[in-house]
Amino acid sequence: MPANKKYLTRSPWIRLSKILAGVIGGYTVMFSFHLLLTTIFPQENVIATSFFTGYILWAILLLTAFLMQNHWKVWGVYAGLTLLFSLPYLIS
Amino acid sequence: MENRNYNVYFHTHTISGIIICAILYVIFFAGSFSFFKNDIAAWQKNTSYEANRGSVVIDLNHVFDSLSNHHKLTGRDFEFNVRHGMSAYVTMSASNDSTVKAKVKKEPEQQRGGRRGRGGNGDSAFFTYNFLQKKSVDYQSGYDMGEFLYRLHFLAQLNVIPVRLGSPFGYLLAGIVSFIFLFALITGLMLHWNKIVSNFFTFRPWAKWKTIWTDMHTALGVLQFPFQLMFAVTGVVLITNWALISPYTKFLYDGNTEKLNHALEYADSSKFKYTYTPLAQPVDLNAYIASVDQKEPGDEINRILIKNFNDDNMHVIVQTKPLTSESFAGSGKIIYRVRDQKTIYEKSAVAGASYIDQVKALVYHLHFGDFGGRPLRVIYFVLGLLGCVVIISGILIWLVARDKSSTPKHKRVFNFWTANVFLAACLSMLPVTAFTMIVLLFLKNPDQSDIYHWYFYSWLVLATYFIARRNLAITNRQVLLLSIVTCALLPLFDGIMRGNWFWSTYSRHAYDILFVDVLFLSLSVVSALAFYKVKNKQAVSMQASEVGDDDADDVIPAQKTKVIRRPKVPAKNASVQDLSREE
Repeated sequence: MPANKKYLTRSPWIRLSKILAGVIGGYTVMFSFHLLLTTIFPQENVIATSFFTGYILWAILLLTAFLMQNHWKVWGVYAGLTLLFSLPYLIS
Repeated sequence: MENRNYNVYFHTHTISGIIICAILYVIFFAGSFSFFKNDIAAWQKNTSYEANRGSVVIDLNHVFDSLSNHHKLTGRDFEFNVRHGMSAYVTMSASNDSTVKAKVKKEPEQQRGGRRGRGGNGDSAFFTYNFLQKKSVDYQSGYDMGEFLYRLHFLAQLNVIPVRLGSPFGYLLAGIVSFIFLFALITGLMLHWNKIVSNFFTFRPWAKWKTIWTDMHTALGVLQFPFQLMFAVTGVVLITNWALISPYTKFLYDGNTEKLNHALEYADSSKFKYTYTPLAQPVDLNAYIASVDQKEPGDEINRILIKNFNDDNMHVIVQTKPLTSESFAGSGKIIYRVRDQKTIYEKSAVAGASYIDQVKALVYHLHFGDFGGRPLRVIYFVLGLLGCVVIISGILIWLVARDKSSTPKHKRVFNFWTANVFLAACLSMLPVTAFTMIVLLFLKNPDQSDIYHWYFYSWLVLATYFIARRNLAITNRQVLLLSIVTCALLPLFDGIMRGNWFWSTYSRHAYDILFVDVLFLSLSVVSALAFYKVKNKQAVSMQASEVGDDDADDVIPAQKTKVIRRPKVPAKNASVQDLSREE
């Protein structure tokens, strides 16, 4: 019994959009989050930690993109978070 | 759990799984054998490292003596990557002396080892040096089955495909597969989250096939989750970490890779100027290395760098790592200036591991399983092969779940075709591996191309044969039979051809060679047990299917023998429910 199609994205374009949002947006959120952390913690330690946390966070964000109903919302949320997290970097 | 989320987890898990399963199987299979890389190398070369442990010295003087017969060594840089104290990968750069360099360039370019496309300009060289036999071989002829399987597990052989995106194609593919694997693990965990405790204890080997596969997949998957997650993450880090590193370099280090490498203690960016003044007194490198080795008993040398050979500004850098019994993390380094015999930098491997050391130690040790001796490797190996079982059962669930009359015929044909190809390619790896290793016994000095030819062609032939048979049950049975035979023949031929019987390798302490023989004998026994079980089960199934409600049509011949009682699919609600609940 494969998953019930009723709950899945039907349009291939919306699906593609979600995948891209999850991969690209998820990455930028993850990366900007770690950039934010470098303003608090020693830079190289954050980088080393992100070897573990970075990839796991990225994969979770990719999944979250599929969980959200509206693909525009995914793009919006991820863009917003990325912007928010990278504020300290952009200001400095 | 909310129905929608559940179905999203389900679908993403299915799709990501089926995309990567075949490649992931290759990675897991070859990777599991790579835990015994050194043992397999010792087996193939019939040179036990275990028997000679402790008696081998890193004889650099001899290396340079013999190298100087063919090369002018002055002004070169050398890098020795020492492997388990017995041999080393050696990189020799072209001379820093521009007058020497100019002269050499006129000579025809010599053949170089092509590992990772290194090599630099004309006169550099890359080779393996064996300290035990005191001889150097070029990379291709020093190549062995251990190296082959090790490199296969990150798909290095696919690097020939000329697509390059951050890293060579094979590495890139391995990295992507590893990341999708991580994704599939997380979705799989979420999928089973609500029933994680009951799934953990659920195994119904007497039920119908689909239930067995489902239980196998969930029980082993849940059980192995931490182990697999660790491999998925460390795998990405080890093979395609540029995905993180290069943006960090850009944003935090102004694009300066050296600065980042220095901060992360990856590479030594210190430069040693070439002075064009010959070294006044020749140096006894052996004595120096021995003194370093003795200074701290809790570590071992893993890399020796020699800068500006025989120049007045010659330096020796020795990098050490702690024995895992002493310290899990840490890296040591000594920089020694030859001119005035002064140690200008020293960091102990055993004491004072930095945070970065600890993270790196986690990545390396967890992935390579090299922190608990042979018993831990065996556990890793078994867990790795169980990973293969999870993958195979996943493919089978995927097939069986879609094999019902409501699925359009063309889709069922495609599904079966996919499962058939995947299983044929995956399952034939074990007999092919054993077969290739047997063949190597009969070849005289087999090199890289021999291993490539025998392994890949026999794999192609066997997989094609199974694909053509179009019957999963036959694939399974014959693979098991072939595995029983080849895995048992391997220790037998090792005894006949080279006298390496169990008792003789044991008595001369060649435990690494002994281990490979025992390993394959055990694999043969396990295959025999599996074969026996499958045969019984199939005999029962055949009887059952005669009286059963088998509604199979001719589209999928394999299913006739394999699935007896096709699950009576409740037409509407089935898809919402979990595999294991569907009874």
